[in-house]
Amino acid sequence: MKGVVFNLLEEAVVRTFGNETWDDLLDDANVTGAYTSLGNYSDDEIVALVGAAAAKLGKSNGEVLQWFGEEAMPILKERYPTLFENHQSARNFILSINSIIHPEVRKLYSGANCPFFHFKEGDGNTITMGYESSRQMCDLAHGFVKGAANIFCEEVTIEHQSCMNHGADRCLMEIKWAH
Amino acid sequence: MGPLASGALPADPVTELNLRILKLENRLQRERSARLQAEEIAERGLRDLYERQRQLELLEAITAKANTERMAGETFSFAIDAVCRHTGWPFGTVHLMDDTDGRLKPSGMWHAADAEKLKPFIERTQATRFASGEGLPGRVLAKGSAVWIDNVALDPTLPRCHVAAACGLHAAFAFPILVGPAVCAVMEFFHRDPQDIDEQLLKVMAQIGTQLGRVIERQRAEEKLIHDATHDPLTGLPNRLLFSDRLERAVAMKSRRSGSDYAVLFIDLDRFKLVNDSLGHGAGDTLLIEIAERFSTVLEHAGDDDMLATLARLGGDEFTVLLEGVVDTGKAVEFAGRLLQALSRPIDVGGQNIYASASIGVAAHTDDYSHVADVMRDADLAMYRAKSAGRSRVEVFDRSLHEIAAARLALESDLRDALHNREFVLHYQPIVTLEDGSITGFEALVRWKRPGVENLVSPNEFISLAEDTGLIVFLGDWIMREAFATLVAWQEQGSATGEMTVSVNVSPRQFHQPDFLEKVLAAIRDTGIAKSCVRLEITESVPVVDAERTIEIIKALRHVGVRVSIDDFGTGYSSLSYLHNLPCDVLKIDRSFVMSLEEREDGHEIVRTILDLARNMGMDVVAEGTETADHVRILKELGCGSAQGFFFSRPIDADAARALLDSRVQAARTIAQ
Repeated sequence: MKGVVFNLLEEAVVRTFGNETWDDLLDDANVTGAYTSLGNYSDDEIVALVGAAAAKLGKSNGEVLQWFGEEAMPILKERYPTLFENHQSARNFILSINSIIHPEVRKLYSGANCPFFHFKEGDGNTITMGYESSRQMCDLAHGFVKGAANIFCEEVTIEHQSCMNHGADRCLMEIKWAH
Repeated sequence: MGPLASGALPADPVTELNLRILKLENRLQRERSARLQAEEIAERGLRDLYERQRQLELLEAITAKANTERMAGETFSFAIDAVCRHTGWPFGTVHLMDDTDGRLKPSGMWHAADAEKLKPFIERTQATRFASGEGLPGRVLAKGSAVWIDNVALDPTLPRCHVAAACGLHAAFAFPILVGPAVCAVMEFFHRDPQDIDEQLLKVMAQIGTQLGRVIERQRAEEKLIHDATHDPLTGLPNRLLFSDRLERAVAMKSRRSGSDYAVLFIDLDRFKLVNDSLGHGAGDTLLIEIAERFSTVLEHAGDDDMLATLARLGGDEFTVLLEGVVDTGKAVEFAGRLLQALSRPIDVGGQNIYASASIGVAAHTDDYSHVADVMRDADLAMYRAKSAGRSRVEVFDRSLHEIAAARLALESDLRDALHNREFVLHYQPIVTLEDGSITGFEALVRWKRPGVENLVSPNEFISLAEDTGLIVFLGDWIMREAFATLVAWQEQGSATGEMTVSVNVSPRQFHQPDFLEKVLAAIRDTGIAKSCVRLEITESVPVVDAERTIEIIKALRHVGVRVSIDDFGTGYSSLSYLHNLPCDVLKIDRSFVMSLEEREDGHEIVRTILDLARNMGMDVVAEGTETADHVRILKELGCGSAQGFFFSRPIDADAARALLDSRVQAARTIAQ
């Protein structure tokens, strides 16, 4: 997992719960906590940190990831404003993830293993998003989508129609805009 | 003042600890923001590096393609796709230089990420030609280097600004594809959003332009090589190689019953060698170029008859035309007629008007050919017949020509042996003074006793072949010696007077031998003939070959006392200026003018004019082909001095000629007694 994800998690935790909580999570997860955005760290560490957070907050791993995704989006926008500049809506932004955002990621991390999202635009205000990744972090994607909607002041509901966490080959999420 | 400032005072340990924590937190914050800054800098560096890397990959890919691809078009297409893919710019195209008007023309090659949406813009681009300075491509053409436009919508002077904006295209850049300093194409790309200039990208594009230019350069060099190998450098027409190739295809297709009809026209210019020799090779070249152009003009209308025509120059003065389509012999002959017609106007060569003509042979697919060489041979045979049948003609090949060709080959072979086997004989035709009917001389005429042939072969049938094969030089020498020796014998025997002359025909080829003068003098010396008895007859075509040298030799001959006649006057090329310069003694009026005395109303006038001319130039005149008493009477009236012809005597063998002389001598004696 790229260091920037750890940085975002740290930032999100510190902003909401303070430095102490982050220190505690590092201790609980038994990880070093020295992450630079350009580094690459074991996926186990993010899993351990999410697990530690879930235990501390009394939530499921999925809930933690969703929360993290949602909180990370404004921080991402502060850090990489250009990614958001050319988009007028969350829909537009989300659809650009494969073609614009991930290529940008690859510029920084050559050979970055970005997940590929399949999008199927439904009639009017839905998009069905397919996700397939060995990391099985569909909840993080869920949170990102939610966070993106917040950025553009839109309201979405997300329904997991199938999920790798529940034995499916891939995750399918229906994103529905409320108008 | 807080406790921090009063460092000297003992501090409360808790406060002190809090202070340290605060400091540490500040330090942590500083470190943290330093890390973020460092990360940002590093990220920017990585991004740039990545971009460079990708650009290098792009350049590499295009260079690799440019190195391996032969066709510029393929490479351009590849480059447009690669640049669009690499940069994410959704539209790219290339404009090609049109050398005919110096404008950029659409290439039909383009890449569009969303062709449907960009359709109006693509159509407009493919329909626009850009002059230098006009639009984005024109600006590149004028500047010779890359041009970037942040937002085309903001520049109303761009011809495509509205349609681009309407299709959602805003930023654009273009760069030249250069061969040396010359812009031979311009590649342009459009982006959906307005974009600030990217100097780095333009640098890479400039390099791409250079690479693509190399392909054009190579392709041009290759095309030139191929063109040079298949075209005649003088006229720019296809050469024998290319012509054979096209004909081979036509023959093969037709013999497989899948192709169209075809015909081959074999064209040989008449007497081109004379022009070349007399006016110089430069003039000959000018003539060939002009003729090629005239033929080409005729070819342009071949399509009107649903024919495809290919004109080639095989070399020298030989041209060929391949007609394909619905071609029957009649159409081919008609087409050949148009080629001859194209030569009817005189051609200006260095201020001199030259009338060119050609002989054309036609061979058509109807003869079921399976080899190119056969078609060419037959067309050549037909051409040869056209030539021998009087030039400026069209003849169609038929089977009998093969026999004629075989006969000619046999003739040539026999002719080579004839001199060695002493098969030639001379006949003599008296030349008579009209005033008193006395014989003043004889013209020696060669005949051939060909084995297996009953009658003597007339010179018409073998002289031109002897001329072509060069045999004429030896034959001519023999004729001189034989004729001179015969006259000497008559004189020694008292049959002929010391003033009696003998005229010998000299062919152009013989005359232009470097040692001609020596040969004449040697024949005179060896036979012991008096120089004043010798007449050499040359035709008008002799001075045409090399007028200056001809004059020199005639002067030299006259200097030693030999006299020179112009034979067949009025039938050849002679212009009065030639005649005027020729220091000849005798002018022989061609038989056709003598015939015209009875056949044409203006016949008298023509002969009178010739006689006046000769008189003014101090030349004696002999009228040839005098056949009737009327001829003799009229010629006498017109003041013609001498004549020869059937009226007086046919050409007769030496014995008969001597007998004729003896009878005259006898008669004279009788009268004297």
